Amino acid sequence: MVAIYYVVAVNTLYFSILALSFRNIWTIFRRSHYSKYNTLSGSELVPSVSLLVPAYNEELTIIENVNCLMTLNYPTYEVIVVNDGSSDTTLKVLLEEYRLKPVPNTKIRGKISCQKIRGIYHNPEFPDLYVIDKENGGKADSLNAGINLSHYPLISSIDADSLLEKDALIRMARMYMENPEETVAIGGDVRIANGCKIENGAVQDVSLPRKIWPMFQSIEYLKAFLGGRIGWSHMNGLIIVSGAFGMFRKDAVIAVGGYRDGYPGEDMNIIIKLHRYMLENKLKYRVAFCPEAVCWTQAPDSYRILSSQRKRWGRGNLKNMIENRGMLFNPKYKVMGMLTMPYNILFEALNPYFRITGLLALTGYVLMDMTQWPILVLFGLLNVVSGYLLSVGALVLEEIAFKRYNKLSDLVKMLFYSALKFVGYHQLGVLWRLQGHIQFMQNNNSWGTMTRQSWSEEEKTSEAA
Amino acid sequence: MPNTATLQREAAVNVYRSVEQGLKETGAETCGLMFIHCAGQSQPEQQVRTHLEQTSESAFQVWEDGATQAIAVLLPGLTLDEVHYEGLRIKHELQETVPGADPQITLASFPAGERPSKATIQHMAESAKLVDPSEIHIYTLDKTADEPERILIVDNDPTVREFLQLRLRMQGYETYEAVDGLAALELIEKITPDLVLTELNLYGIDGLPFIQHIQNLDVAQPPKIVVLTEQRVEQTISQCFRSGVDDYMTKPFSPVELDARIRRCLH
Repeated sequence: MVAIYYVVAVNTLYFSILALSFRNIWTIFRRSHYSKYNTLSGSELVPSVSLLVPAYNEELTIIENVNCLMTLNYPTYEVIVVNDGSSDTTLKVLLEEYRLKPVPNTKIRGKISCQKIRGIYHNPEFPDLYVIDKENGGKADSLNAGINLSHYPLISSIDADSLLEKDALIRMARMYMENPEETVAIGGDVRIANGCKIENGAVQDVSLPRKIWPMFQSIEYLKAFLGGRIGWSHMNGLIIVSGAFGMFRKDAVIAVGGYRDGYPGEDMNIIIKLHRYMLENKLKYRVAFCPEAVCWTQAPDSYRILSSQRKRWGRGNLKNMIENRGMLFNPKYKVMGMLTMPYNILFEALNPYFRITGLLALTGYVLMDMTQWPILVLFGLLNVVSGYLLSVGALVLEEIAFKRYNKLSDLVKMLFYSALKFVGYHQLGVLWRLQGHIQFMQNNNSWGTMTRQSWSEEEKTSEAA
Repeated sequence: MPNTATLQREAAVNVYRSVEQGLKETGAETCGLMFIHCAGQSQPEQQVRTHLEQTSESAFQVWEDGATQAIAVLLPGLTLDEVHYEGLRIKHELQETVPGADPQITLASFPAGERPSKATIQHMAESAKLVDPSEIHIYTLDKTADEPERILIVDNDPTVREFLQLRLRMQGYETYEAVDGLAALELIEKITPDLVLTELNLYGIDGLPFIQHIQNLDVAQPPKIVVLTEQRVEQTISQCFRSGVDDYMTKPFSPVELDARIRRCLH
C-alpha cells in the first residue's frame, strides 16, 4: 500500500509544480519577447560579469567555445578560462590561438583557497580574456581559482562543453537587475546541442538529435527545466542551478566559502549552501531560474558515458542530501526545509528503493493471489500515463514560450520518444542512480569518464548519419 | 578639317563651360541648375525659353547641349525647392504645348560654397537621360562623375542592413552587405570598399578584433571604419577610437547625422 501512496504523492507534487510552471509561462513568454535586450546589451548600467570556464582536457572544443563566449551580446564582461592541469594540449592550444603572454606578478590575493596557480596568461589584443593555468584539483577548485582572479561583482560558471546563445547572458542580467538586492543565483536553461548545426561558435539550425541517447536526454532536460525548475523557482525552492550555465553574486559565493571540493554535485552543493546561509542569517533572498537564457550542451551519446554521468549525479545528489539532512522538515528553512529537501530525499534520492520494493511487493501480492494482476497492470499504466502527461506538459510549455523546435516532424518525434522513454530508459535511470549510491558507499569519488567530440566532428557524424 | 563629332564635343564642352561660368557669375547666392531631356524628338528649347520669359521674375540662361541632347537651364538665386517648383511648371508646360513630349528632368541647387566642377555638370547632363519621366530627379553632389564610393555594411539585423542599403544607395553610394565579421573580412579583400559601416556585436568574431583584422588586411588602402552599434560603454568607445576607428555612432541613430558623418569620413 505504501507504494500506492508514494505514487499518488509524487504525482501530486509533480503536477502542482507543472501547474506552477504553466502559471508563469505567459510572463516568461512576454518577458523574452518584448524586452529590449539590444538596448540593454549596450548600456553602462548593466552589471559586469566574470565568466568562469573550467577546462580539463578540452583541446577539441575549447577554441570554439571561447570564441563563442567572446562574442556575447553583453556590455562589459570577462572570460576566465581555468586550465585544471589538463593532461592534453588544452593550454597550448589556447596560448597559440590568442597569442597569450604570461602576466607577471601572478600572486592572486583570493579569499578562497585553491590549488597552486602555475601562471596567468593574457593578451592586450583580447582585453577581456584571461587564462589561468593551475595544478589539477577538480571542477570546484577551478571555479574557486576563477573567483579569486575575477574582477567583477557577478560570476557565471560555464562548462567548457557548452555554447551560450548570444543573448543568454544579457537575459540573465536583466533578471538579476529586476531585484539585485535579493538575487543570489540565477540558473539558465540547458538544452542538448546534438543534432543542431553549429557554425563558428553559434547554433545556427536547431533540430533534434539523431541518436537515441541524446534524444531521450532532450526530452528529459525539457521536462526537468521547463516543467520542473520554473515551478520550483516560483516558490524559491530551487535546489540546483545547472553547472553548465548559472550566474551568482560573487559576494554571496565567497560568504559561503566558495565551491566545495573533491566531490561531484558541486553545482547543487553551492545552491544548498546559499539557501542555508541566507535562511540561517534571516536575509531576504531568491534563487531564480531564467528559462529564456539558453545554453547548448553536448550530451553524452553512448551508453558508457551516459551511465557514468548519471552515476556521478546519483553520488553527488546522495552526498548533498546526507550532508544537509538537518534541513529536512525543519520549519526554519521554509520552502527548502519543508518541501524541496523532502522531495529530493524521498522522491529523488530514495526513488530507486521505493520503486524496487513497491514492485516487489506488488508482484508478491499478485503471486499470492493471481486474480490481482489487473491491478498491477493498471498501476503500471497509471504510472506511465501520468509520466507521459508530464512530458507532454513540458512540450506544451516549450511550444508556448520558446518554439525552438519549429518542425512538425520534431514535435511528433518528441511525442513519440516521450512515450518510448518508459520502456527501458526510465528503468535504466533508476538503475544508474542505484549504482551511483553503491559507488558512494564504496567511497568512490572520481569524476568518471567523459570524452568529447569537437563541434565540427559532431556535425560530420550527424551528416553521415 | 575637324569632323562633326569633334565639333559637337567642343560645342558640348563649351556649354558646360558656359554653365560653369554662369554659376560663377551668380556670386554669393545659391544657384539652381536644371537639365531637361525629351526622348525621341528634337529638344523643345524654344518652348522652355518662352515659358521662362513669360513666368520667371529673375534672370535665367538656357543652352542646348549638343552632346547629350539636353537643355541646360540656369536659374540664379533659386533654392532647391524653388527650382523643383520651376521644374514642375516647365514639365507641365511642355506636356501641354508639345504633343507627345515626356520630359526627363534632373535638377539641383548649388550654394555659393559648393559650385560643381565641369565634370560634375557633364555627369549631371548625362544623367538626365536616365531619369524616369514620371518623376523629377534631384541631383546630389555625391553623384560625382568618377566611381561611386563603396560602402560595406556589416550588421546582424536584416532590417538595419536593408534600411542602410536603401538610404546609402539613394545617395549614390555602392553598397555591399555582410552578416558577420568573418564574411565581411572575406568581402573586404575582394571588393576593397572605401568605408566599412559595422556593428560591434557580431557573430564569429568580436567587434574589436574584427576592426584590428581590417586594419591588418593586405589591401592597398585600408577602408575607413565607422561603428554603428548599441554599445554605449565608454571603455569600449575609447578602445575603438584607440584602434583607429574613424567615427562611432550609437543606435538608435539619426540617419541625417549618419549621412553627414559618412560624408565627412569620405571627403
